[in-house]
Amino acid sequence: MCGIVGYIGNKDSQTVLLSSLGRLEYRGYDSCGIAVASSSLKVYKDAVRVEALAKAAPRLGGTAGIGHTRWATHGKPSQVNAHPHCDCRGNIAVVHNGIISNFRSLRQQLISEGHDLVSETDTEVIPHLIEKYYDGDLEKAVEAALQHIEGSYAIIVLMSDTAELVVAKKDSPLIIGIGDRENFIASDVPAILDYTNRVIYLEDGDIGVVTSGEVKVKNGGVEVERKAHKVLWNVEDAQKAGYEHFMLKEIHEQPKVIRDTLGEYTQATESGTGLERIRDAGIESMLILACGTSYHAALVGKYIVEELLRIPVRAEIASEFNYYGQILAKTMAIVITQSGETADVLRAMKRLKGGECKVLAISNVVGSSASRIADQTIYLRAGPEISVAATKTFIAQLMVLYWLVMSYSKVDASRLASMLMELRQMPGKVQQVLNNEDKILECAKYLAKYENVFFIGRGINFPIALEGALKLKEISYIHAEGYAAGELKHGPFSLLGSDTLVIAIVALDNTREAMLANIKEVKSRGSPVIALASEGDEVIGELADLVIFVPQVDTIFSPVVNVVALQLLAYYTAKERGCPVDFPRNLAKSVTVE
Amino acid sequence: MKQAVILAAGKGQRLRPFTVTKPKAMLSIAGKPIVHYVVEALAENGIRDIVLVVGYRREQIFDYMGAGEQFGVDITYITQEKQLGTAHALAQARGITEDEFLVLPGDKLIEAETIARFVAAKPEAMLVKRVDNPTRYGVVTVDDGMVKDVVEKPEEAKSNVVNTGIYVFSKEIFAFIEPELDIPVALNNMLARGYPVNAMETKDTWLDVVYPWDILSLNDAVLSRIPANLGGTIETGASLKGAISIGKGTVVRSGSYIVGPVVIGANCDVGPNVCIMPATSIGNNVVLSPFTEVRNSIIGDDVNVGPSCIIQDSVIDKGCVMKGHFTACSGEANVRVNGEHHVVNVGAMLGEGCSLGDSVVAQSGVIVGNYSQVQSLKLIDGRLPDKSLVF
Repeated sequence: MCGIVGYIGNKDSQTVLLSSLGRLEYRGYDSCGIAVASSSLKVYKDAVRVEALAKAAPRLGGTAGIGHTRWATHGKPSQVNAHPHCDCRGNIAVVHNGIISNFRSLRQQLISEGHDLVSETDTEVIPHLIEKYYDGDLEKAVEAALQHIEGSYAIIVLMSDTAELVVAKKDSPLIIGIGDRENFIASDVPAILDYTNRVIYLEDGDIGVVTSGEVKVKNGGVEVERKAHKVLWNVEDAQKAGYEHFMLKEIHEQPKVIRDTLGEYTQATESGTGLERIRDAGIESMLILACGTSYHAALVGKYIVEELLRIPVRAEIASEFNYYGQILAKTMAIVITQSGETADVLRAMKRLKGGECKVLAISNVVGSSASRIADQTIYLRAGPEISVAATKTFIAQLMVLYWLVMSYSKVDASRLASMLMELRQMPGKVQQVLNNEDKILECAKYLAKYENVFFIGRGINFPIALEGALKLKEISYIHAEGYAAGELKHGPFSLLGSDTLVIAIVALDNTREAMLANIKEVKSRGSPVIALASEGDEVIGELADLVIFVPQVDTIFSPVVNVVALQLLAYYTAKERGCPVDFPRNLAKSVTVE
Repeated sequence: MKQAVILAAGKGQRLRPFTVTKPKAMLSIAGKPIVHYVVEALAENGIRDIVLVVGYRREQIFDYMGAGEQFGVDITYITQEKQLGTAHALAQARGITEDEFLVLPGDKLIEAETIARFVAAKPEAMLVKRVDNPTRYGVVTVDDGMVKDVVEKPEEAKSNVVNTGIYVFSKEIFAFIEPELDIPVALNNMLARGYPVNAMETKDTWLDVVYPWDILSLNDAVLSRIPANLGGTIETGASLKGAISIGKGTVVRSGSYIVGPVVIGANCDVGPNVCIMPATSIGNNVVLSPFTEVRNSIIGDDVNVGPSCIIQDSVIDKGCVMKGHFTACSGEANVRVNGEHHVVNVGAMLGEGCSLGDSVVAQSGVIVGNYSQVQSLKLIDGRLPDKSLVF
């Protein structure tokens, strides 16, 4: 995945482009570059992060330009592979996010026609194709070039001596920010929030011409109107506000996220709006699809639905489902995607829609691709998440799932009343976990010395073991695996010993005795144990080496408090090991390639 | 004057249990933390470059204040790792201060007009005020508009003029504060070396919170000035009188009777048939169940008050759950804080996350530690430490 930006107006474009790119680094940051047009086209790019590029770049001048921050898919991170890419004469520059699947044959053809291609990227074929078709009208040339391209793209094209930018989008995100006698283009909204909050979301197949005063969009050769939306996020949301890392800030935002999410939905319930279409009486089963952290939310969702609604639920990894899963009749499909742009999820959605399934999307990004495919979308009230490791959006996803299930009339009334009361207490319970940072820090210092860690849990906390392991491995680079506690003896036992740490999640439910037995088994094989247990469960202190206590809650809500403790544990462990917490190596915030 | 340094790192020892989980500056008064009022007053005077010195439980301030955008100011955070004193706190901000700047405590309420008058003072200057109980504070000897000396918490006060902790300083001050821990000591050194320190007296309200029950009088004072503002849904059959502010998403159900000044936060569920009497502040996401009466009290975020509770002159911190029939009547109480005895009229003081069974009765003046649990039909009295279990 990559981030692209464009600017045309009356400001110095270099300044605008670099500040916008800085806000897109969550999408990739192995190399970056800018191109600015005045009388000639000037390009400056390198395999460095945006801040370093900004320091090194000479003043390019010009009030129109494009920029790119890259996450390598074709070709290693290097100066020559960094965007923007140009045509033979250096008159046309292109930035691109996506993957061109037929670029090898296009490249061969262009080279045989005498074009000079210098990089290993798929993108470079685009400026050369445009060059090939250019006869005085840039938009027409882009349109002609795109006819030959298979795959996904969001592109911005800049030409020397023209007062316009040409944009096009298919299966990759692209937005236009509307300013006063200036316009902004970006992969995502935070990039332009410093300048404007009026945003046009482009649709697949759109080709647009952007000048400082006007935005014209065509789709299929016909001019179309794309309305500007007012974005309610503000720039402050995209800043760290005192915290050392976005991840810690976002972890600490969780009580507020829970309060906002629940507030929004209780209001909707109070006024009786919003749920009618979801509450389809004829549903006999549910299918929940997601990737990564969202998949772990899907797994928790499976436990919640089966426990409270007594209907079978399949939770599937979207990229797997795309190749094998069956679509059953009378199934309601829920897809969970933070960005709403996850390629595997979008593909699965299109397939479900083809199979006549009703699809409900849970996403954090208003106007995202997922929301446009889904029959209905429930938005998380989490605000933008900058840290690559998802935290607050996971909590918000859980809140949506609780609320969704509790809104069904099948839930037992007395259970519902006590759950509603407890749900309102969740912000405070999570705050209590946050206030226990000293103990979690102590455990992190202990954990940081290990290279192999197992997270074990049972029942509704098994997905939390998976999520705990994912958080730890992605930001601290410690090899961590989540396991159903009962499965440990079917193989992984051979890995236990003093070098392998085990983190056990012990909930106060029917799995507790079995978990205690698991801890004893693990200890007797020499592995040290950190336990995550409910306050008041004092026995754990005698079994485990270290214990993190979390507030007592109804078992069905135990994932909420447990996961927050594990997020903090991963954060402090990564910090202890000196890892770049917000931007772990080789990872990007949302995965827009399959 | 363009810049202010707000000292908000302090713990507020005597305000436990309320300051175990948050800094004193984050105590909620009329629905907003104290530091919010301080920043608001500065912004009103066009002072938008704000340096916030934070320390104890600083995350609470980060989470609430953010980068300041929401308040129309620009906040730079400086951390004081150990809370050694006000001079030490100010010293942390050295290097980012302008030539002249305002210094003020983040945990004391101040009005915008007070700041407007004081910023005209020439550095170094101290804002002073006459109070009834000067021995709690730094007593200042003032002669012809100049500070002569400051004596911290004297046994016997020479005058009733005290230091408000609000100063206008120039960069010169750093030469004197570096070796010291508290600003008054640094000022005394300055005076001894012959440097002039101006004194400006204010007659405006200057309200401090020292003991838990002070939170209630401060709440009362602030509430008396709130504008009416009705968000949310008010059902037919609810009666509202006086200045009342109700947040977005809150529902006030039929038969409820509310007499202002009252502030109710967002997403609360009030009633049916709940009675809220004057000088009451209610946080966000609070449930007040039928037949409950609340008067002159503060109820924090996420609190669940069951049916038929009586809550008078009380502070109920965030996330407490009262099953029902909880009684906290106000009365004269002998309360002990840090070894000092005080006779005050209060109800109950409950720390964060307390859980009370059905029909618990609180003796006037009881102070319950955070996350305590009380079983049904218990009488609670005196001072209960954090995480007490009353079974």
